[in-house]
Amino acid sequence: MQTLDARGKSCPLPIVLTAKAVKQMSTGEELTVLADDRAFLPDVEAWCRKTGHELCSTQSKDGCFEATIRRRG
Amino acid sequence: MDGSGTASTPEARLERLESELALLKSKLAGHGTADGALPALVTPATGQEDRLSLIVFSGSLDRLIAAFVLATGAAAMGMRVSMFFTFWGTSALRREAVQVKKSLLERMFGWMLPKGVKKLPLSQMNMGGGGPMMIRYVMKKKGVASVEEMMALAAELGVEVNICTMSMDLLGMKEGEMLEYPGLAYCGVAKFLETAAPGKITMFV
Repeated sequence: MQTLDARGKSCPLPIVLTAKAVKQMSTGEELTVLADDRAFLPDVEAWCRKTGHELCSTQSKDGCFEATIRRRG
Repeated sequence: MDGSGTASTPEARLERLESELALLKSKLAGHGTADGALPALVTPATGQEDRLSLIVFSGSLDRLIAAFVLATGAAAMGMRVSMFFTFWGTSALRREAVQVKKSLLERMFGWMLPKGVKKLPLSQMNMGGGGPMMIRYVMKKKGVASVEEMMALAAELGVEVNICTMSMDLLGMKEGEMLEYPGLAYCGVAKFLETAAPGKITMFV
């Protein structure tokens, strides 16, 4: 399970960095992304719908957002 | 009926319309998705390729930032992305401090136009050059990638960059002064139109 810390980074970086990280992963591997950009959760949900990768869970706490993605295919 | 043979009474016309409608319905039956349903309008094959095509006409920093946010965002979403730099947008792709052979008029243009993305003005609030400095400072503070970082990301993500040769000719720019970018191509309007036509999203920045 990898972690990508995109805190302190604004759109489009959290999504672009997520895409780059997932590209390096093998099928079934998971990635947890941390961000404090308010756009992050809606963006990562859209990203998963568009790319077909699985959004396992999301969390938001005190302005910090977390999403776990599993690579499919 | 009046027996005139032209069937012009309302009742006769209604009867004829009803029988024509029944005939049409029977022809369409079996083509729709449900019994008696009319078939969907045939949609053209264009607009289906998962591609974003962007014309970058503008040479202001704020618009270049917007263009690269769109391009890198789309690439991150798995879309194919093509950017076409034309007119003022070609300035953004110049390398700084590169001397190339030019005629007098070309040299004048070269001198008057910004040399690369670091020298672009804002479209508003330029404040004699203070504007771009301010916006870059704010972007850095807020963790927004600089336009140079976004251009590098775009290259990594396979965003295609094309330059309009007609604009370059008009503005006196030469290939030797344009930046190095993987797969950088020079083209005209037909290439843009062919690339953009089947794509889902096409925009003019």
